[in-house]
Amino acid sequence: MSSANPGACGVKIRFHRELYAEDAIAAAAATFSDYAKFAVATDGEHFVVEVSDVDAEVEGDVVAEFCNFALANSAATGRRGDA
Amino acid sequence: MTQSQTEQLDPLTSTLILSLDAELYSRDVLYGASYVFIDRAYVLLDREDSRYVVRLRGKHKLPEDAMRAMAGEFENELLAQALRERVAKANQGIIEGITALAISGATTAQLPAGDDPLAMDGFVEDPAGLGTPWEGKKGSVDG
Repeated sequence: MSSANPGACGVKIRFHRELYAEDAIAAAAATFSDYAKFAVATDGEHFVVEVSDVDAEVEGDVVAEFCNFALANSAATGRRGDA
Repeated sequence: MTQSQTEQLDPLTSTLILSLDAELYSRDVLYGASYVFIDRAYVLLDREDSRYVVRLRGKHKLPEDAMRAMAGEFENELLAQALRERVAKANQGIIEGITALAISGATTAQLPAGDDPLAMDGFVEDPAGLGTPWEGKKGSVDG
């Protein structure tokens, strides 16, 4: 199971490549680039995103919101791709 | 193994983990159901062998009964999305036909060159000056 420990620094999140598009993850990372640093790598069936330097002053859960954005972007991309 | 089951429920972190049979639900159905919950939960999807794993964490702290209700709602939403997908596929030909008809109707309904729609309505001549703006007749209202 992928894991996210919201609010912490140096969090690694695993996104299954069948369910998340790399472009979608990159777009989500760009959206939150003002609040944290994102490094995307590939590990077998997963993209592994390391989130670091999360802005502690930001209200809300940056890592978890990033995950939601990645999912929403992937859903939009996937549906357009299937059409 | 059941088709859908709650693998883990943690009221302390308001986290719920569901395991779904991937053969029953398409990826789009899973996306659709997940998207519905994005405004009230943090959603993370994964796949383990033939099952999708859905991790939902409430954006606000939830009691255990509310989390169980959310699990049920998610499963209901999966069914609703599956039905929507089925209806869309069944009606795809009809939708495409109606759209094509509407587009072709809009393009062929244009008037031939030289046919002025105003002339067809009989409003080309304006002897009483009804089409002239007030300011044109009397000058500016302020002036």
